[in-house]
Amino acid sequence: MNALEVKNLTKSFDKVVAVKDASFTVPEGAIFGLIGRNGAGKTTTIRMMMNIYMPDSGEVILRGTKVGQEFRNRVGYLPEERGLYKKMKVLETLLFFAEMKGVTGKEVKKRALTYLKKFDLLDRKDSKIEDLSKGNQQKIQFIATILHDPDFVILDEPFSGLDPINTNLLKEIILEMKSRGKVIILSTHLMDFAEKMCDNIAIINKGEIILHGSLNKIKEKYGLGNVTLNYDGDISFLKQSNIVASMNDFGNYTGIKVKEPSQTQELLKSLIEKNIVVKRFSANEISLHEIFVELAGDGELKKEVQNA
Amino acid sequence: MLNNRVMAVIKRELREKIMSKTFIISTLAFPLLMVLIIGFQIVLATFEGESDTKITLVSESIEMRNSLENEFSEKDWVKSGKYQIKYEVVSLNEFSGYLDKNKSEMLEEKITGIAFVPDSALIDKKIKFYAKGSKNIMLEQKLGGVINQALIDQYFVGKGVSGDDISFARRGVDFNLFKVSEEENFEEESGGNLVLAYVFSFLLYISLLMMGSMAMQSVIEEKTNRIVELILSSVNATEFMTGKILGSTLTGVLQMGIWISPILVIAGFSLQVLPENLMLTISGWQVLYFMFNFFIGLITFIGLFSTVGSIYDTAQEAQSGLMPVMMLIIIPFFITFTMIKNPTNSIALVSSMFPFASIIVMPARMTLVDVPIWQFIITLLVNIGTIALIFPFAGKIYRVGILRSGKKPKLSEIIKWVKFKY
Repeated sequence: MNALEVKNLTKSFDKVVAVKDASFTVPEGAIFGLIGRNGAGKTTTIRMMMNIYMPDSGEVILRGTKVGQEFRNRVGYLPEERGLYKKMKVLETLLFFAEMKGVTGKEVKKRALTYLKKFDLLDRKDSKIEDLSKGNQQKIQFIATILHDPDFVILDEPFSGLDPINTNLLKEIILEMKSRGKVIILSTHLMDFAEKMCDNIAIINKGEIILHGSLNKIKEKYGLGNVTLNYDGDISFLKQSNIVASMNDFGNYTGIKVKEPSQTQELLKSLIEKNIVVKRFSANEISLHEIFVELAGDGELKKEVQNA
Repeated sequence: MLNNRVMAVIKRELREKIMSKTFIISTLAFPLLMVLIIGFQIVLATFEGESDTKITLVSESIEMRNSLENEFSEKDWVKSGKYQIKYEVVSLNEFSGYLDKNKSEMLEEKITGIAFVPDSALIDKKIKFYAKGSKNIMLEQKLGGVINQALIDQYFVGKGVSGDDISFARRGVDFNLFKVSEEENFEEESGGNLVLAYVFSFLLYISLLMMGSMAMQSVIEEKTNRIVELILSSVNATEFMTGKILGSTLTGVLQMGIWISPILVIAGFSLQVLPENLMLTISGWQVLYFMFNFFIGLITFIGLFSTVGSIYDTAQEAQSGLMPVMMLIIIPFFITFTMIKNPTNSIALVSSMFPFASIIVMPARMTLVDVPIWQFIITLLVNIGTIALIFPFAGKIYRVGILRSGKKPKLSEIIKWVKFKY
């Protein structure tokens, strides 16, 4: 079942089309990744989903009804450009944002203190926001996002600026929320995180959704005929080979696409025949990074929408 | 409209504003400043000139000289020694020589001025005054009146006119002002309400500008801090703007309440405290009107200032957009000054019922003139109508403005925003 359905969203500013006819679905109980380069239209799409922007056309359906204030109350949003009231105190800030979601009382205060403890900030609860380091401000902002226990969490580049320890902590909390059945929407340009965490993705490029669906299925499809190779030796002869469709050197390893999926064994054979030392050869596997570069990398837009 | 989200915004706004140093200091310091300004003006108005003003009165005859001395020596400001008067008798022919002789002393300011009262003044009342400073109105008024009385005395000498007649001729007209109102009695007017009109318009002027700029500052902060995006994920832009405007307005009303309470206390006890010519006459419902009008004014102007703030990224950039809004406060403020000369002038009448201007002009006008009820009603309707008319546009610009950043927008672009679908 789909929690959210984004249908044909279009938004332009003056003459610039920021998002063009974007459609995708976010399933229940999953982590959804909205992936794209900087300026691809991720934030504009999210703002339309949150009703911050009115779309020029299209709509967002929340479990069968159009999104509105109800969705706002049940969503926790961490914008990419972070900001808090500098003169407000930490605990005061957290309770203010919860109050705007309609959550007040002792319970929420207790929860705020628990989160502050988890993030090692309990002793700063009466400090002014401006006295906190940038990293700590970011933690406060994250707590503010989830304090009211939202059903939906939208995180726009949540890991930027966090150290590895806090990145882990954040990841744990996200996974814990997932296990409690929350829907998490992650917008990022970091393929690594998206690949490790997301169940479903949508890739947006220049305002258009160029691919969306289940990550596993996408990888299965794009991985077919794809070989990841670590080696010693000279493989330049492959450029002339009639079974190789494309080669992509990543430095540590090379991604090779063969013309037919069945030709991977043939590729291995030709490497051995040429005395190349094969350290790692994995067939029919592809990273999200490779898919992304393939689809969004070279200036010209390749649109291939599929429902996997 | 006033749901819990808006209430949360209002509460936050109140907490932040009322606890701020700016609010506390301005609330306390302003009445003090007011007293200083008014006190300073009273001092200026009653200033009698430098304490060692040295005047030489030159006349052609000994009789005229004695007559001048009689008049001047009776004045307090001569008795107290503030003005030192010398009396000389010089004939018309010798006067230019006398003047030359004393020229250097006048230039060194050992003599402030020389007044020449020739015999011909008994016919045409023309006298000559020589001083280093070209024009000293204070001196002119002070000396002129007394010299006139000496001339009247001299003129009637030996004409068989009785002392009573002479003292009648010497007396000036005493202007007693009465305010005509619908009430049964004509009240004798005092200068107190003039001061009150001045205080009212000054308070409105300062407070609207101050609360307005504070609101603008806060919008710019939220915009550049990017808090606004987080907030808009909880409340919509209209709710947020409503909460902010109401929060600031309540802060302003609280401050104004604190500011005018001393005035009300003084008005209540004005019989005992103030001199008769500074008595205040203000009724309870006038105060009520003043506060309600201020409330509406705050909503209007805080809304406009916030809108300007939403357009720009920095306070410096906002200056250009601020000018037109500030003019809506500054021009009416100057119109109130025209009422000090003539409270019933037609500019004041029209502007007291004109959008924006009425917010400042009407309170000053009602303290000076008996304003008919229908004019109050028109003013209120105009002001509420103004809010209803401008807020949809302001809200639209605000919604577009707060989420955009970058290049300073041109006016033509801002106009386009109104058509945007946000």
